[in-house]
Amino acid sequence: MDSVNVYKNYFNVFRDIIREMHSHKDLEDVLNLGVRKTAEVLQAQGAVVQFLDQSSQQFTQRAAWGIDKCYFSNGPETKKRLQRLIREKEKHHFIRDINNAPELISAQQAWDDGIRLIMELPLSLDIQILGVMRIFLTKERQFSNDELDFVLTVSEQFACVIGRVQCVEIMEAQYDHLAKHTEKMSSLGRMAAGIAHEINNPLAGILLYSSNMIKKVPDLSPLKEGLEIIISETTRCKGIIQGLLEFARDREPQKVVTDINLIVRKSLKILENEFHIRHITVEQDLGDSMLVLLDENQIEQVLVNIFLNAIQAIDKNGIISIKTGADSKQDELKIEVSDSGCGIDKKQLDRIFDPFFSTKSRGTGLGLAVSYGIINNHQGTIKVESRSGQGSSFTITLPLLSSSGREARQQVLR
Amino acid sequence: MKPFKILIIDDEEVICNACHLILSERGHTVESKMDGAAGLKALQSNRYDIVLLDMMLPDMEGMEILKTIKQKTPQAGVIVITGYSTVANALKAMKLGAADYLSKPFSEDELLASIDKVCSDLKP
Repeated sequence: MDSVNVYKNYFNVFRDIIREMHSHKDLEDVLNLGVRKTAEVLQAQGAVVQFLDQSSQQFTQRAAWGIDKCYFSNGPETKKRLQRLIREKEKHHFIRDINNAPELISAQQAWDDGIRLIMELPLSLDIQILGVMRIFLTKERQFSNDELDFVLTVSEQFACVIGRVQCVEIMEAQYDHLAKHTEKMSSLGRMAAGIAHEINNPLAGILLYSSNMIKKVPDLSPLKEGLEIIISETTRCKGIIQGLLEFARDREPQKVVTDINLIVRKSLKILENEFHIRHITVEQDLGDSMLVLLDENQIEQVLVNIFLNAIQAIDKNGIISIKTGADSKQDELKIEVSDSGCGIDKKQLDRIFDPFFSTKSRGTGLGLAVSYGIINNHQGTIKVESRSGQGSSFTITLPLLSSSGREARQQVLR
Repeated sequence: MKPFKILIIDDEEVICNACHLILSERGHTVESKMDGAAGLKALQSNRYDIVLLDMMLPDMEGMEILKTIKQKTPQAGVIVITGYSTVANALKAMKLGAADYLSKPFSEDELLASIDKVCSDLKP
């Protein structure tokens, strides 16, 4: 084949792969066509593409042509080896002495299958390894620079495709997680309302009879203490159920235009005494006045709840800092509350917004779940960062009133 | 305090019995009915000073009974009791003419305080 025809051949293969990639076909179809065309043009026995599964850290075969065995390990040793190649900027790696190749786990089998030369190309984006492409030949030979160039270009395209697919997969997984979480919250809400109603009736019977009996028991009677406990525990149940109902109600916020800093100051004021008694310093770094459309009572409830958690995490002598400010685009406001308290264990951090999850012995586990629901209803987000022993930091974002909204508001005020 | 004639309408027998015990110990005359229809029937044939009314009955909504009581026997003071208390519900009941609102579970003292409050509001 003269050189013009060789280039034409490369060009055609490359064009077919690119065309396939842009035809929105299945990823497998694109990769299968790619490995087949590449193997054909290099007169190879076959070719395969493997992906590195980011969670299991194992390689899995995603496309193959002409080869039905994997002579390599799919585990961490292969990843390590390919990573070294990437670090050393070796874009391809030839395995020529098949019988004695340490890279292979079934060298004998490869030899018996007639394999005499294997070309390996790590597929990566920057230094992150995504997979590997392997080309198997039945004859030991040298590759021309043009051939190497061609194979490298194909492998780079594969890496881009895999990167894109993994990005979509991660996004899908995040969406699934979110969808499940939302569903869990809403079905739990319905169930909570039902349970609350059913439990309040028997509790009413217990509380009425015990509060009636306690008056009939002489002061020194041993029954007195038991009855007192029954009454206080029943009252405690009432509190838990009330919290549960608040959570289940999922009511629409009654939004008004207000300045977030006013709500922050009001919430701090409520707990002023508590801060003083426990020697907690509150550091405020409040930004310029920021107008937001929100339910003042609900946001106050969220802030008070976060401050209370911070107080409990600190117990005595510590710092709570609160910062408010708008983002650079002026469309979102951020409230950050950090404390110097005991922090949250890594294992517990994922569950902190789950209903009924509590780290406190007398906690209902509803405070942050309710807060989560409230912020969600305001189209905002609430996140937590924490390390055990190093304090916690809650970040709430809420949409700022758009400039058109502000104008409308100003007109109303006029 | 003079004894009153009190009707309890609640489908929970334990609650009816408990309120019956507490109120009769205070000298009041107490009757209880376990559904809306029986409650309304009793209201037609007797005159009560106070009605303790559950909001969720098996046969009808408590709010409907409240409306009927206020139309037919407006002199009776109605204390609404409910297991699913919301501010909105309480407001609605008050607007319809309820004299007080107790959310379950409540204690003897809370019940008696409510009865006292309603009694002092009742026209002689």
